[in-house]
Amino acid sequence: MMAGLAGVGAAIGALGRYGSSQFVTKLTGTYWPLATLLINWLGSLLLGLLTGWHAEYTLTVVLGTGVLGGFTTYSTFSHEFVMLVDQRRWGAAMSYLLLSVVGGLGLAGLGFYLGITYGG
Amino acid sequence: MANYLSILVFAFVGGSGRYLIGQVLPATTGFPWATVIVNLLGCLALAWLSHAKRVTAHWPSAVTVGLGIGGIGAFTTFSTFSVDAVRLITQQQWGVVSAYLTVTLVGGVFCSAFGVWSARKWSTFRVVEK
Repeated sequence: MMAGLAGVGAAIGALGRYGSSQFVTKLTGTYWPLATLLINWLGSLLLGLLTGWHAEYTLTVVLGTGVLGGFTTYSTFSHEFVMLVDQRRWGAAMSYLLLSVVGGLGLAGLGFYLGITYGG
Repeated sequence: MANYLSILVFAFVGGSGRYLIGQVLPATTGFPWATVIVNLLGCLALAWLSHAKRVTAHWPSAVTVGLGIGGIGAFTTFSTFSVDAVRLITQQQWGVVSAYLTVTLVGGVFCSAFGVWSARKWSTFRVVEK
């Protein structure tokens, strides 16, 4: 039952990622993987918020595990990084890695703090 | 339209699978094994799928797009990776958080690189030399 709810959420999240990724890529091109960075940043912020807020279990599964888990993606991030290294684009690779990890953790922390402070 | 439907169906499977693995290996305390396993497996699978042209050339493009972007994309997760790390930092488990970041980042790069390498070696079209 819960697995199905997580799956429905993930389907919505993944579709949102596909649509927003195409939109951002249309604006900025594919030279630097901005779309995945923005998606992972936004998802980290919102999941931090949801976690700090201590939302009810079903809501956490649908929105957190489902929608935000399906919206963000680790496999594409890692693959894009490896392809930048493969192309010997060291600056792009390192900036993508650092911005993703430091920014993702920072935004998750900010969301967590805001969730605890203003939520529940 | 076929791409959208395919992404929906595959992402449903990927997201449910990630939830079930999380149930088997709960991450409320200690090392978040479930997130590590889904992310590393997904890195390997997506990298291979993206380069295994000799295999995917026979598939309808909606299947390749749905499986990669929907299935594997929704199976792996960046948001839980970030929040897991933040949770470990707030619990001041410095050793665990260092190990988690290292295993996920280094392991992810290794799995992606191995996926690309193995697909290029065995599953892509050979350049015919005369």
